[in-house]
Amino acid sequence: MITFEDHFGMADAERKRALELALSSGGDFAEVYCEYRTYSFINMEEDIIKETAESVSLGLGIRVIAGERTGYGYTNDLSSESIGKTALTAAAIAASKRSASLRDFREARQLEDRYPLAQPAHQASLQKKIELVRRAYLACQKVDPKIKKVKVLFQDSAQFISIVNSEGRAAVDARPQVKLVCTAVAEKEKRREFGFSGGGGRVGLEYFERILSPEQVGREAAEEALLLLEAVEAPAGEMPVILAPGHAGVFVHEAVGHLLEADFIRKKTSIFWDKLGKKVGSPLLSIYDDPTRPSFRGSYNIDDEGAAPAKTLLIDRGVVHSFLQDRLSSRLMGRPLTGHGRRQDYTCIPIPRMSNTYVDRGQDDPGDILRSVAKGIYAEKFEGGQVEDSGKFTFSISAGYLVEEGRLTAPIKQATLIGTNIDILQKIDRVGSDLSFGLQTGTCGKEGQEVPVTDGCPTIRISRMTVGGQS
Amino acid sequence: MRETGGAGSLIELAERIVGLGRQMGADEVEAAVSDGREFSVDVRFGNVENLVEAGSRYLSFRIIKDKKTAHATSSDLQDETLERLVRNAVDRAALGSRDECAGLPPLSPDRIDIASLRLYDPRVAELQASQKIRLAKETERIALEDKRITNSHGASFITNEVTAVLASSNGFVGSYDQTFCSLSVGLQAGETDEKVEDYWVSVDRFVQNLEPPETVAKKAVERTVRQLHPRKVRTQTVPVIFEPGMTDWLVGFLFSCISAVAVYQKTTFLAGRLGERIGNEKITVIDDGLMPGRLGSRPFDSEGVPCRKTIVFENGVLRQFLCSTYAGRKLGLPPTGNSDGGSVGPNNFYLQPGTSTPQEIIASTERGLILTRTIGHGLNPVTGDVSRGAFGLWVEGGEIAFPVSEVTIAGNLEQILGQVAMVGNDLDFRAPVCGPTIKIAAMTVAGE
Repeated sequence: MITFEDHFGMADAERKRALELALSSGGDFAEVYCEYRTYSFINMEEDIIKETAESVSLGLGIRVIAGERTGYGYTNDLSSESIGKTALTAAAIAASKRSASLRDFREARQLEDRYPLAQPAHQASLQKKIELVRRAYLACQKVDPKIKKVKVLFQDSAQFISIVNSEGRAAVDARPQVKLVCTAVAEKEKRREFGFSGGGGRVGLEYFERILSPEQVGREAAEEALLLLEAVEAPAGEMPVILAPGHAGVFVHEAVGHLLEADFIRKKTSIFWDKLGKKVGSPLLSIYDDPTRPSFRGSYNIDDEGAAPAKTLLIDRGVVHSFLQDRLSSRLMGRPLTGHGRRQDYTCIPIPRMSNTYVDRGQDDPGDILRSVAKGIYAEKFEGGQVEDSGKFTFSISAGYLVEEGRLTAPIKQATLIGTNIDILQKIDRVGSDLSFGLQTGTCGKEGQEVPVTDGCPTIRISRMTVGGQS
Repeated sequence: MRETGGAGSLIELAERIVGLGRQMGADEVEAAVSDGREFSVDVRFGNVENLVEAGSRYLSFRIIKDKKTAHATSSDLQDETLERLVRNAVDRAALGSRDECAGLPPLSPDRIDIASLRLYDPRVAELQASQKIRLAKETERIALEDKRITNSHGASFITNEVTAVLASSNGFVGSYDQTFCSLSVGLQAGETDEKVEDYWVSVDRFVQNLEPPETVAKKAVERTVRQLHPRKVRTQTVPVIFEPGMTDWLVGFLFSCISAVAVYQKTTFLAGRLGERIGNEKITVIDDGLMPGRLGSRPFDSEGVPCRKTIVFENGVLRQFLCSTYAGRKLGLPPTGNSDGGSVGPNNFYLQPGTSTPQEIIASTERGLILTRTIGHGLNPVTGDVSRGAFGLWVEGGEIAFPVSEVTIAGNLEQILGQVAMVGNDLDFRAPVCGPTIKIAAMTVAGE
């Protein structure tokens, strides 16, 4: 647990004053979001610690909601004059006679701490972090002489937030975040390939002793680059696709998660807007988003509106069960809050976002799934994807294999897969019993805001999907 | 140099950090301050949905001691925080490794006339919120008049005013003001399970150069409805025509492959290939930071090196990598005015236009795909491989036949540059990294 440090020194009276100003033109709701974040960074390449960086971010954002309208102002000048001006900027949206009445603050009780940790990274010495970086670097380099370039990055941050709103809710959170990543370039006869690995989460430095060693991160990056040196062009066209457990979770993030974010539902731009309670996928498919998984990169004790997060069943055996809600959408839709209102930082309005999204485990033996495919591809590692509201989505594999007669044969180079979700979700015909999660290094972008996320899935077979290779 | 209200105190802040760093034992110090004002309004179905207005100020600096570098940034500008950050940076540098290439550039005697670059429009600050809201509402209203449009992502008007200040221990002090404004609208057409979507945005430094609401609306509508009732096509190898917006990302990918940082790190297939023919003779690519009024123009880069015009590819031959001081030293090349806060960034980086009109390019194509949108990642600078989800228009007999969706295009940048068959005359610098319509003789289109 990292302890909350108050860098704002705003007494309740001052925070109340800001909320009063924010509601001075009317409005249903006002909120003050204070954020203090420290960040450190180490970069090793060419056998040296090339640079280190430290960053401090301090500021507050004030939001007013009036009906469907949101006014927002932010500042990093914490003088009471500047805070007052920011509150009035946010207030300008409302322009109504009716105004919510302010309630006294009640501190939200924290039932659980989702970041159990022993050695907070933001308090550890730089030498200790540099040592982790060196270990990953050396482990990567010594895998094979064909590894020509190695780069290791370490980042940690501590984010302290404090939220009060006009309904009287007061909540704080102190969120750690750690990430160690390694990239490797392997070279053979003028051919160059790239490998990547990493890990972290809302953990302390003990993670690198108990869960994932820096050596493993380094080795995995090297092994991926070496594997790709032998890779053949991916095939092009429609074929069966097996998604490997863990990393392939990006599939469900793109194909399903985004389009169940309640803002897209409320605005009827998502293909799922009229599909609550309707079947959109295979009965083998159940999907959750769970911000409460301890130590996960996408987890939080409270969301960025101060609401308690809940494990949320999105798809129940192929049927749309619920949406990812923030406060505005939940109120406008008359549906319960799920605690998925997130923001990148104090300069941003919170919007519905995913946290840790995954396909629930199924019944099938992963080996049987592989043996069931005569000709197709096995998608193992991913570099991301994208979806649009119409349900068209892509994800790009950075490493995988050809499947021939139920066996993995040649490794394949990168390829992008494309499909429409309501079509592809029906084509999921095998779900394995081997649920796992991808690397704890992922970031999701929406409307210019980046937030940390993870995703996961068991082995999955899609009976047919378009693969964008070159051969 | 333009005198602005705030620049004086910003320069003072930057110089104070440089002085503080030197005092605490740093050999070299460079400090940048950015002070910005942001306004954005989103309207949807005629109502204001979000209105954001804010000002903020950030500091970033680096110090070098014994050829070891440490960086820091802060939005907390209180004296005690800044002193602590400078002291920490000096301490941290000692834990780094000595790097002979580290350090600031020498002070350049050249000075760019900032006023002639036309980076700042005073009208941006003068524009009232009500006017900006009206422009956004008007744009969406016109778009929604088209009955084929079935839903709206909303229209937005955004303005930014930024003052950038840089001071270095080599004696450099500089500052400039710049403005940006944009008007955009995003639309959907078609019924629930058959939706298509697209948007249009006009961006400029000057309010008067923005496309009017009618134009933005019309382009967004046209781009959206032309995708209605798409088909999938069979997997095949055909000519692919890139619309200018598509050439933009290809040129952006090319930039990531000629950045000197990628070159010295060997994370690009173009490392070590200076002077070689990479594309065919139609490929001339230029980086130019000094084009008046353009989005990517600036008088000096993040290290104070004056910006300039650099020919990167000349008729297919790779002539120059774009360098920061550090990456340039690693490669034995001079800096090109492309430093971008520790990395290398483009100024106005563009593919030189040709002489064909887009209509001529389409008419020349017996059978092929006009690429209008892509989604997803799928760009690998190490190998040059490209693979992306694609949307477009199918061409038969030199004419647009039907829209295509749910296909992918794949190829390799080196082969793509070698197969550029035609280059359009329609370069319009709508984005700092850009190009005209181009036709690639053959690419793999994967479909059914």
